Amino acid sequence: MALEGVRILDFTRLGFGAQATLICGCLGADVIRVESTRRPDPIRVMPPYVPEPGEHGEGFGAATLANATGAPSPNRGGIFYKYNTGGKRSITVDARHPSGLALLKRLVERSDVVTESFAAGTLDRWGLGYDVLRALRPDIVYVSMCGFGHDGPDTSHVTMGPTAQALTGLTFMVGLPGRPPAGWSFSYLDHVGGYLGAIAVLGALQHRRRTGEGQHVDVSQLEPATALSGALLLDATLNGRPSRRPGFPTGNRRAHPPTAPGGAYRALGDDRWVVISCRTEHHWAALVEAMGRPSWARDPRFSTLAGRVEHADDLDAHLEQWTSGQDRYDVMHRLQALGVPAGAVQDAADRLERDPQLAARGHYTLLGNAEVGALALEGVPFRMSATPPHTGGRLRRGPPCLGEDTAAVLAEVLGMGPDEVAALAGDGALA
Amino acid sequence: MSRAPLDGVRVLELVDESAEYCGRLLAGLGADVVKAEPPEGAPSRRIGPFLDDAPGPDRSLAFWADNVGKRSVVVEDDGELLALCDAADVLVHTVRRAEAAARGLDFDSLHGRAPGLVVCAITPFGQDGPWADYEADDLVLMALGGSMAACGYGPGPDGRYDTAPLACHGDQAWRTASTYGAIAVLGALLWRETAGSGQLIDVSAHECSASMTEWHLMTYLCSGQVHRRGPHPTLTAADGRQVAALNPDFLGPHVFARMLEMLEDEDVAGALSDPAFADPAYRASHYGEVWRALKRLAAAHDGEALYRLGQSAGLPWGVIRSPEEVLDDDHLRARGHFVTLDHPELDRTVTYAGAPFVAHGSPWVVRRRPPLLGEHTGEVRHQWRRPAVDRPGAGGAP
Repeated sequence: MALEGVRILDFTRLGFGAQATLICGCLGADVIRVESTRRPDPIRVMPPYVPEPGEHGEGFGAATLANATGAPSPNRGGIFYKYNTGGKRSITVDARHPSGLALLKRLVERSDVVTESFAAGTLDRWGLGYDVLRALRPDIVYVSMCGFGHDGPDTSHVTMGPTAQALTGLTFMVGLPGRPPAGWSFSYLDHVGGYLGAIAVLGALQHRRRTGEGQHVDVSQLEPATALSGALLLDATLNGRPSRRPGFPTGNRRAHPPTAPGGAYRALGDDRWVVISCRTEHHWAALVEAMGRPSWARDPRFSTLAGRVEHADDLDAHLEQWTSGQDRYDVMHRLQALGVPAGAVQDAADRLERDPQLAARGHYTLLGNAEVGALALEGVPFRMSATPPHTGGRLRRGPPCLGEDTAAVLAEVLGMGPDEVAALAGDGALA
Repeated sequence: MSRAPLDGVRVLELVDESAEYCGRLLAGLGADVVKAEPPEGAPSRRIGPFLDDAPGPDRSLAFWADNVGKRSVVVEDDGELLALCDAADVLVHTVRRAEAAARGLDFDSLHGRAPGLVVCAITPFGQDGPWADYEADDLVLMALGGSMAACGYGPGPDGRYDTAPLACHGDQAWRTASTYGAIAVLGALLWRETAGSGQLIDVSAHECSASMTEWHLMTYLCSGQVHRRGPHPTLTAADGRQVAALNPDFLGPHVFARMLEMLEDEDVAGALSDPAFADPAYRASHYGEVWRALKRLAAAHDGEALYRLGQSAGLPWGVIRSPEEVLDDDHLRARGHFVTLDHPELDRTVTYAGAPFVAHGSPWVVRRRPPLLGEHTGEVRHQWRRPAVDRPGAGGAP
């Protein structure tokens, strides 16, 4: 595997940081999650809960408030399983216990990378700041991931995905004209921040290989997002066309390149939709053919792309009459057979049960652990021919139960015997 | 010139507008990213908006945004293209499988002539599977991948959705595929340093899009329920600006305690000062009171101030900004995030988004403005003559 032999001592939690080490684990790194039984990662204890066999879960729709203290086990929080594939191992060590801290320092000496996603300054307070890490292991790669990063006037600010999405323009870019932004109903930037966290790890490892030097890479949740708006920033600053203007954002309509028809059209069923995108004369001609050459399509207003863009409202109304009586997948496949970009609007159930492409690509891997059994989990969505990534990481296993690898890791990495581990545990250092 | 992780690594890019962001990321890490273009220019040069709304191959702002830091070479035929492949460490391309095979750009052919070459193919659906030859733009991928189903306005009072699911502007599915492409290239380059061999990276943008919807798959697996689109908590400030106002009570009792303190300081706490609200269950069943207090707070402050008040109480609030409003963020400016580059031929300076993180030992580099069409044809042909493996810094580097 590509990152064979790389050991990451991983203090990340929640989504943003854990996404980064998930990627490294799928590429073959030995990712050792350092956790605490006293303060478990919130996503270990948040709903939705992985049900017991035969039990029906509560669903995320139930108020998170009411469940704040009700998690049945730190190994049942469903979101944990999204972000902790990659064969990560879990050890529990109390960094605030003197023997626990000493143990962590010994692990740092034997690690290539330290990752963490606490608020800026937290590791310093524990006595594990970068200066300490570097003294223990001069070439250590230390990648911190927190909302506003470790430097700058607002480092005390905290983010969740929607916070960062609001501040960087991502929320603004989803919406219909004349209405407030609709935004994302999930934390897209937890993923993006994690992707860039992985790039930070990989780039720093490459730098270390060439120079022998480690470093601190300071990843925030804001900077990875600023390039995601593409040309909108430049259109505002150079052409004087701000995004905050009447008529923008334009829902699903795209002016660049001009696309018409283009958007999500109602299909048969409750809240079912199919996307159709015609950028070329070929796309339009094929769509007209697929519709059986209706007379409205011969309207001269629709004879050119510019005309179709100008009269998109009428065009869409006609097209939706055609799509609304049909199954979304039937429309998609019929148009794709003629070379027209089209796709059903799929939800999570569709992706898992009605998407033969994801199935054929092996997108899901059945993995679990001693407590939850096998789940269809995701890793990294690409293939490598010589060093295939694996959702179960180098160990081909599911996300870890809390602390399940403590004794094994201490034996393997530090050569500690069972008695020594038992003594530490008795001392309260492994909590 | 600063030392960047990929200094000296040659990346040849043969892509349409769907995957230019990959090369932009690799250029930021120091790679010498050369864009191979046909004489009329890459397709993205014809995509608007254009500078002053005047089209031209060197005036596309869409092209500029994703081609910062690269060089441009005009390639007349596939013979020239393959010669550049021979000299490169990495090829990033978006050529579909049938066309790649016909042009000798399939991995087996490339690997035969350049065994060290890392080939990263970024396509809508990947190299195989029943949809491998389907057509897609970003909208189609956002639909199939699941983001779209979870973005948009909520249902009306009758429970029926009267507006469509929405996709974010900015080509987010394509960008995610490009980002994963860059991650895989970095992994392949690290492995090549010990193994010596290149390999094929097969990125399916559909899979990338499908894997970026956070808890949605788990919700379905855990409960059989599907997450549907709807509003998220937002406050409207006195100046009409909106603030994303998450109140993560699930993180512990301190969250509400600090919020209450701030609301009392601002004199808008009202009923929340009743000690009964300290009980999470009581609070959950009377959440309307919490929301009414927050609305009183919002009515008394402008958006930027409201955002900072929330943050002062430890709440992850953020004012909703348009992309250009991000430029005014003092925190990002203090971190040196934005980069201004000269475009001397236009007598303009242009501000771009800069480093996606602060790497203290090997800083992100933005070495040149986006290239004019064919600007570096002569110099690259001269510099890229020798095979990549003969150069120090490539192949078996220290």
